[in-house]
Amino acid sequence: MNAEATERLVLVIDHESCWGCKACEITCKQENHAPEGIKLIHVAEDGPRTEKGKPYFAYLVNTCRHCDEPECVDICPEEAIVKREDGIVVLNDMECTGCALCVEACPYQAITFDNERETPQKCNLCVHRVDRGLLPACADNVCLAHCIYFGQPDEIEKTMARKRRGALHSSSSESCFP
Amino acid sequence: MVEFAYSNTEREMEVYGYDGVVKSHCRMCHGGCGVLVYTRNGKVEKIAGDPDCPINHGTLCSKGLASAQLAYHPDRLTYPVKRSGSRGSGRWKRISWDEALDTIAERLLQYRDGFGAESVVLGYGTGRENEAVIYRFANLFGTPNVLTAGHFCYGPRIATSILTCGTNPIVDYENHPRCIMVWGNNLVISNPDCYKGESFSTAMDAGAKLIAVDPRLTRIAARSDVWLPLRPGTDAALAFGMLHVIIQEGLYDRDFVENHVHGWEPFVRRVEQYPLDEVEAITWVPVKKIREAARLFATSKPAAIQWGVAIEQQINCADNDRLLMFLMGVTGNIDRPGGQVLFKPPGIRNVGHFGAHRMLPDTQREKRLGGDRFRLAGQFAIINPKCVWDAILEEEPYPVKALFFISSNPLMTRGNAAEVYRALEKIEFMAVSDFFITPTAEMADIVLPAATWLEMDYIGDFWKRHGYILPRRKVIQVGECRSDHEMLNDLAHRVGQGEHWWNHFEEALDWILEPMGMTWWDFKKKDYVRGDVLYQKYETRGFSTPTRKFEIYSTVLESMGYDPLPQYREPPESPYNTPALYREFPYILITGRRLPGFFHSENRQVPWLRELHRDPVVEIHPDAAKREGIREGEWVTIESVRGRVRQRAKFFAGMDPRIVSAEHAWWFPEKKDAGHGWDESNINMLTDNAYEACDPAMGATHVRTLLCRIHPEDRS
Repeated sequence: MNAEATERLVLVIDHESCWGCKACEITCKQENHAPEGIKLIHVAEDGPRTEKGKPYFAYLVNTCRHCDEPECVDICPEEAIVKREDGIVVLNDMECTGCALCVEACPYQAITFDNERETPQKCNLCVHRVDRGLLPACADNVCLAHCIYFGQPDEIEKTMARKRRGALHSSSSESCFP
Repeated sequence: MVEFAYSNTEREMEVYGYDGVVKSHCRMCHGGCGVLVYTRNGKVEKIAGDPDCPINHGTLCSKGLASAQLAYHPDRLTYPVKRSGSRGSGRWKRISWDEALDTIAERLLQYRDGFGAESVVLGYGTGRENEAVIYRFANLFGTPNVLTAGHFCYGPRIATSILTCGTNPIVDYENHPRCIMVWGNNLVISNPDCYKGESFSTAMDAGAKLIAVDPRLTRIAARSDVWLPLRPGTDAALAFGMLHVIIQEGLYDRDFVENHVHGWEPFVRRVEQYPLDEVEAITWVPVKKIREAARLFATSKPAAIQWGVAIEQQINCADNDRLLMFLMGVTGNIDRPGGQVLFKPPGIRNVGHFGAHRMLPDTQREKRLGGDRFRLAGQFAIINPKCVWDAILEEEPYPVKALFFISSNPLMTRGNAAEVYRALEKIEFMAVSDFFITPTAEMADIVLPAATWLEMDYIGDFWKRHGYILPRRKVIQVGECRSDHEMLNDLAHRVGQGEHWWNHFEEALDWILEPMGMTWWDFKKKDYVRGDVLYQKYETRGFSTPTRKFEIYSTVLESMGYDPLPQYREPPESPYNTPALYREFPYILITGRRLPGFFHSENRQVPWLRELHRDPVVEIHPDAAKREGIREGEWVTIESVRGRVRQRAKFFAGMDPRIVSAEHAWWFPEKKDAGHGWDESNINMLTDNAYEACDPAMGATHVRTLLCRIHPEDRS
């Protein structure tokens, strides 16, 4: 591999912008054919509750974080989960014996056991696409809020900062909760 | 470093070995989004948004993405069938298209001869881009009766906007409103008529201020600068309150009001009848909040109101629409960039023309069901559903003998479902065209297999008022399925309307496009065509109303014998209107919260979409749940004075504890008996459709708010 190919690649979701439309869940199903009950990317409600005196309700999108020091990689006895040089953590279910230690080890509940295939499943960041020059399905312009980013971390940070500067959004300070 | 590009069509083709990609136009809701359909060996392999489409810019919702699962669904009806047992027995026999259409033609003609053309009622549900062809068939057949959702969805926006300013004012998101007031709408989930969430979201990213009017804390409400959690059904009073502030504080556009408004003085006197403390008492929204929202909206230029169906499924339907338009108008936002624009369609034959409304004889028009009572609706060829059920059950004012529902499931989606069922049981002849044998179709004599959007050529968004048309290109053929357009074109020939139709429906598309100097084949090569974009057209031409002004005081409503000015009516069932009932049914039930993946009664059988929502869910405030002894996730009974249904309880603290929020249109395709659980969780078992509870002008059924009680299932 040359030096350029080892640039880090990450998926970043700007939760402030997410509207909870779940298009990412369905495009992931279309791409990865995860069976019923298994979501490699999952949109969950957060709230409603009062936070700092204000009504709060948002969506949290959960998927593999491709951790810097992934516990799933450490715990897998078969070395079926590897962290690549570009940072993507890939579970190769051909190598997997189905011990499911990774399911327990993941601190983010991002690995699910697939009872039919008898192996755990998780988001591999669409490496089959990424390695051929295509964006992961969820990051390929499907999101109506344009809030799913993929690429190098500093480039994403720049894009998000540009978007934030565009927003003059200010919040009223008092509670409007009934 | 690899350069990644969005929507990289060429690379997709190479990597996956697709042998084709077709640009088309989705219609999993009312239509709207440009799509790329990738195929291999004649089968749809993948669906993505079209980045070149100005509506969605490459994004796509869950429904659009799951379209192939709908088209290839194993339960899909792929050939015509006729009933082989008693009505509703679930026994069907395959027949040919010829037999199906000949039978339908024969029966329709038989009823026309025996009972008049008005004894035949055609129907569709939400606009599925087949409305023009259905009206054309009905008008040429001579029946004034087409039963649609138009009495309480979009029809009122069209009718009232034509009365007020000539056409539907559409938010100009492209030019970034500085303030958006989202009123009873969740467009990031629901894709309401003429709108998609993407352009709204982009306007938000550009820094728009946000006001949310919603009894529930949606994500839109949570992101807003001002949230007005009103008591359900009090929208008109709240709008009066905001107008009160705008007038009192002189925040209106004086030039617009002086030069372009008809009826300002009497309107100001009407607004004075709604003092702010009274508005607070009615709406439960504090005066301070009303002022804050009114000031923010009126002083941000440009500003826009994002509206939708929620305000229309109420007794105040027409006046809710009008009051919101008045807010747009008096603040000077009508037909201004970044405000709400009266867009011009491309120069084609429009839906009204195609619908052949002028071909219906006056003597038949006069027989339109409910036309005397709901006169505004009647003027726009819209009828109230109860009028049809009464004509079937009571034969008043005349008998209805045949129903032909095309993409409509009224058993799930119209008020008072028990009455709908009785009418469908009694009807002499019923035909349905749909994707599946739905609970409504189970009551039919003949069911026709309808094509999905993947299986048809059409001029997408032909009926909308945002100024675009986009080609929908046929990609696949499934079984013997036919588009509703082709089916009616064929049926029209069999009932003697042939001279007004075409050999093949493609010729109809040529006819629609002809004034623009284009054929379907020319149009097919384009991504879209947009009408001329012009602003403030009223400065030179006035508005397309009788007075050429923006009619706050409606001369048309006055001539029909209605109050020319808007008013607030208390919901038919409410703590204040029916206090005795409220003691027995102590919660305000709101219905129809929008869910990603479903479109009213559709998609419960599409695996990826059903996985998003396994069961029907009723939201209850944790305090109320505690009082009622309800545990989260358990099945509960929701009861109104008319009936009871079951849904699963979910705690939701983002609303007043006096409110309960249920989902609508639930049935269970996985239940293989002929009923498919149509009455188990169907919220319309609880709703009322009495004429007195409907909007007096539009006949909108008040299905959005009623009184209920709720308790754990086992207690009852």
